[in-house]
Amino acid sequence: MLYYAKTEALRMLRNRRYIIFVVLFPVVFYLINANIYGTQTDSAGVRMSTYLLVSMAAYGALASSMMSSAVPWAQERQSGWLRQLQITPLPSWAIIVTKLGAAMVLVLPSLLLVSVAAVLQQGVSMPAGQWVALLLSLWVGAIPFIALGLFIGSLLSADAAQPAAMICMFALSLLGGLWFPIDAIGGTMRTIAGFMPSYHYASLGWNVIAGHGVSMSDALIVVVWGIVLGGAAAYAYRRATVRA
Amino acid sequence: MNAIVFDHVSKDYGDVLAVDDVSLSIEPGKTVALLGPNGAGKSTSINMLLGLLRPSKGTVSVYGRTPRQAVAAGQMGAMLQSGQLIPELTVKELIDLIRNLYPQPLDLEEILKLADLTDLVNRRANKLSGGQSQRVRFALAIAGAPKTLLLDEPTAAMDVESRLRFWESMRAYAAGGRTVLFATHYLEEADEHSDRVIVIARGKVAADGTAAQIKAGVGGQVIRFTLGEQPAAGLDLLPGVTAVEIAAGTATLRTSDADATLAGLYRGTTLDVRGLHLAGADLEDAFLALTRES
Repeated sequence: MLYYAKTEALRMLRNRRYIIFVVLFPVVFYLINANIYGTQTDSAGVRMSTYLLVSMAAYGALASSMMSSAVPWAQERQSGWLRQLQITPLPSWAIIVTKLGAAMVLVLPSLLLVSVAAVLQQGVSMPAGQWVALLLSLWVGAIPFIALGLFIGSLLSADAAQPAAMICMFALSLLGGLWFPIDAIGGTMRTIAGFMPSYHYASLGWNVIAGHGVSMSDALIVVVWGIVLGGAAAYAYRRATVRA
Repeated sequence: MNAIVFDHVSKDYGDVLAVDDVSLSIEPGKTVALLGPNGAGKSTSINMLLGLLRPSKGTVSVYGRTPRQAVAAGQMGAMLQSGQLIPELTVKELIDLIRNLYPQPLDLEEILKLADLTDLVNRRANKLSGGQSQRVRFALAIAGAPKTLLLDEPTAAMDVESRLRFWESMRAYAAGGRTVLFATHYLEEADEHSDRVIVIARGKVAADGTAAQIKAGVGGQVIRFTLGEQPAAGLDLLPGVTAVEIAAGTATLRTSDADATLAGLYRGTTLDVRGLHLAGADLEDAFLALTRES
């Protein structure tokens, strides 16, 4: 099972689309924006270069969560690879748990690269405790989005999963305020953002860098989304692998 | 104990009865061909053996266990129809991935040798030709050293050369006392590569035995002649005749006693018999006769 998880991660790192969209895109986007707005401060007095670090790390993690789950999983179901695994001694639950684990590992490159870019190019600094709280909450908090990706992958064909995952990913990023700060738009967008798991997810990070620690209300909302989407993913997986 | 047992197994998909009350057993160490036209129920049977499908009625067992138990114990390996590989992984990585899921897999070297992949170890799956992919899929099927190997039309999409090499690999694997069941609609494959042929048609077992027995069982010989416009009535009443077929002015008589049939044809009828041809039934005749009757 460990070997399976390792090869799962390996194959995505060899996937050009994954590397471009998930690993490079957040870093480049961060560098561009931080160099334009980096010296400004937000309403809480946090430098934008740090604020954007959270936004782009969250976006990268979100994109990675969905890209490494939805489409590959839909393809494997359709192409017969899932059946190839089903006739090995690997239990059915282990397949989906491995997918989840590998997707978790694949979240790390985007989180870490954006952080490294922020430190090296923008001179972002914060206490070690904040770094740990930030990265850990953005890492574990990605689980609901991996579950969403697996849900899409279990439910739809590969052709349909591709646009569905893209739409979900862009909607969550945009409406959750990962690309443009919610404060900058305000009003209705704020209300919409409140319903987005992605907003509360990134908000975990924004609270940490503002020195407020991990917000329990945001954490709770992310956990509830995790349970809902995880349940949906488990249900769809069972349905997709049920023996007729 | 038998390697494979079907006990009054039926499987329906709504209105369609894919497998209809099939009972059979296969001894360990045998290589058996499941021969039948498309849609005969071959794949359904194999998928039930792997626990991927549940029988509507009856039970399937593998070495006395349920298919799911046998799969969980790492006793089953299979090459299913239309299985694709993970494009970003190399041949070695794919084989190692599957090997690591079984309790007592074959050595990598042995798998590569058996599947004739030694030169392709480090090639990624998306750079393999169709025939090479099939070899990798065979490698994955045997990687866990399963006691029971199921092959669902394994040589589909292979050229002649690849087929030859494939059957050599299959024999080499089966030689270790393993049970192999392969589905095919190629008669020559069933004839040449199996100890026993089970012919299925429309979900039922139409014949079961060695290729020779099946040929013998379906009228020993075939008499063919040009009938032209003459009436065919009465041909089926000739001594020894088991089946008559008229097509494009040619009569084909299947007979268990060619001498008696010919005597009856010349003496007992007024037909003008031309272009007479007498031959032993080959497996193809047997197959066509069996799958038509049932």
